[in-house]
Amino acid sequence: MTGGRARGRALRGNPPGMTLRRRERRRGLWMASPALALVAGVYVVPALATLLFSISRVGVSPLRIRRLAGWGNFVNIITGEGFWSITVRTLYFGALLTAGTMAAAFLIALLLNRPFRGRALVAVIVLLPWAVPPVVSGVLWTQMFHADFGFINGLLRSLGGEGNIIWLGNPQLALLAVLAAEIWRWIPFAALFLLAGLKTIPPALREAAAMDGAGAWGTFRRITFPLMAPVTVPVAIFLFVWSMKVFDTIFILTRGGPSGNTTTLNYLVYQRGFEQFDFGSASAAAYLLTILTVAVIAGLVYMRRRARALAGGGVR
Amino acid sequence: MRRRRRIAALLTYAGAAVVVIVMGFPLYGIVLTSIQEEDDIRSRDVRFVPQYVVTEHYERVLSADSGVPVRRSLANSLIVSLGAAAATVSLSLPAAYGLTRFRPPGTRLINGALASVYIFPTLLFVIPIFLVWNRLGLFDTYLGLIIPYTAFMIPFVVFMLSAFVRAIPAEVEEAARLDGANQRQILLRVVLPLLRPGIFACLLLGFILAWIEFLTPLLFTSELTLLTVALGLFRSTIDIQIGQLAAAAVITALPVILVTALFQSQIRQITTAGVEQ
Repeated sequence: MTGGRARGRALRGNPPGMTLRRRERRRGLWMASPALALVAGVYVVPALATLLFSISRVGVSPLRIRRLAGWGNFVNIITGEGFWSITVRTLYFGALLTAGTMAAAFLIALLLNRPFRGRALVAVIVLLPWAVPPVVSGVLWTQMFHADFGFINGLLRSLGGEGNIIWLGNPQLALLAVLAAEIWRWIPFAALFLLAGLKTIPPALREAAAMDGAGAWGTFRRITFPLMAPVTVPVAIFLFVWSMKVFDTIFILTRGGPSGNTTTLNYLVYQRGFEQFDFGSASAAAYLLTILTVAVIAGLVYMRRRARALAGGGVR
Repeated sequence: MRRRRRIAALLTYAGAAVVVIVMGFPLYGIVLTSIQEEDDIRSRDVRFVPQYVVTEHYERVLSADSGVPVRRSLANSLIVSLGAAAATVSLSLPAAYGLTRFRPPGTRLINGALASVYIFPTLLFVIPIFLVWNRLGLFDTYLGLIIPYTAFMIPFVVFMLSAFVRAIPAEVEEAARLDGANQRQILLRVVLPLLRPGIFACLLLGFILAWIEFLTPLLFTSELTLLTVALGLFRSTIDIQIGQLAAAAVITALPVILVTALFQSQIRQITTAGVEQ
């Protein structure tokens, strides 16, 4: 489409320019082809294979498709034990992770946008968890939440509490523990992007607002927050998508337990595929997760559009 | 006015203190655990300040006869991460340049497709690759890890490098062309040097992402000799002592922590480029 339009434009201009453009375009595609081929080989082909698996009976030894099974795998997953509670959990885990990370990261970005002594050091410390391998993060939070000699219970004890909370063994608390570990890991990423966004807001705008008598909260609500939307929304969407794919932390902290209370859809895919070696059901579950993810993104984008339409009053 | 400013400053420092404690404590905690005696680690009265320092956990973990070959896995991770970072950047660089400068037909579609691969859960791709690797004999090989790592990182790195390519004014290349430089010379003498910061930042990023990867080696390797550090650490959670586990965790995290701390401005550059885009 774009090609046709541009070619039309070139034709009205000078014909020799067209051939040059065309040759350049072909060169562009040629330069991109090795990367695209690899991505296609490792993403697109497997994704199609998984689609095929999802409607097949897959034998384990030898590993191959035995016969087509129609919707059998999907029915198997959807009617399987706890599917709906797992789906709901995946969604609210994602919502809590996104909201928690964004709130904390926004505060940190606002802080780092102010001049103060030692800011560079604080910035490095905020950045560090991002570089911590998820396994290390898992080991570290297992240690933090340990019922007997964990630091969190230790802190509760030194503050005069009982400090006997079995964080990772309690069906209600285990998910919170996973959430804490994940939020800690994602704050650096979100804070970095939000800080970069804050830097693009001209200080003059905020000064002008202050001149007009707006307080700190008023300036934030009327100036900073709306102007940040182009950064905030993509970061939030990214976090939500990522939260639905969380694996390492759950695997190390709780293995989906206790009694399945930290199992999300992605973890279900792993269990079906690599614990039960039922690749057919695992593929079906992976596609259900993909559909859910796309639905969530569509929902978030729609909400953003609505919000913009309401706020902008047809300006844009 | 002055009082208000003082209160604001006080709040800023208080906020900074809270941030440092919350974000930094878990890391401090694991280092603390790694230098305490096992008996003290397993004691119910948790100490927050070390009374002494022992290095025996590190010595144990790094010794040749340790249950999990940590030294070997460090070397494995280094090979795989450097290989994946180099492969990613050398494939992504021409792609980013070609797509941004020449805008071949379908560029928008290609960019959209590249971005959308991250929507799909990783396991969706991993299941068939797992089956194919078994058949191709790529299971338990360096290449069997480098290929998926590279493919997983390419879309993101292409996106980032595109921002750097866009930042080069077209006039610079035009001027070189007028001076009689051909396309190859322009690429090597003009574009490449200007892209150096971006390339370096993406190499760092690729190294870090490959180093911390967990799921792929978990599924694609089974031999102890091919353990990457991230996986080795997990394997050692099974029956090792807590002190040694903490020491192994510190060793695993240290290289990437150092890289991040040393090159934080380069890494920050990436996010700035991303936001501007």
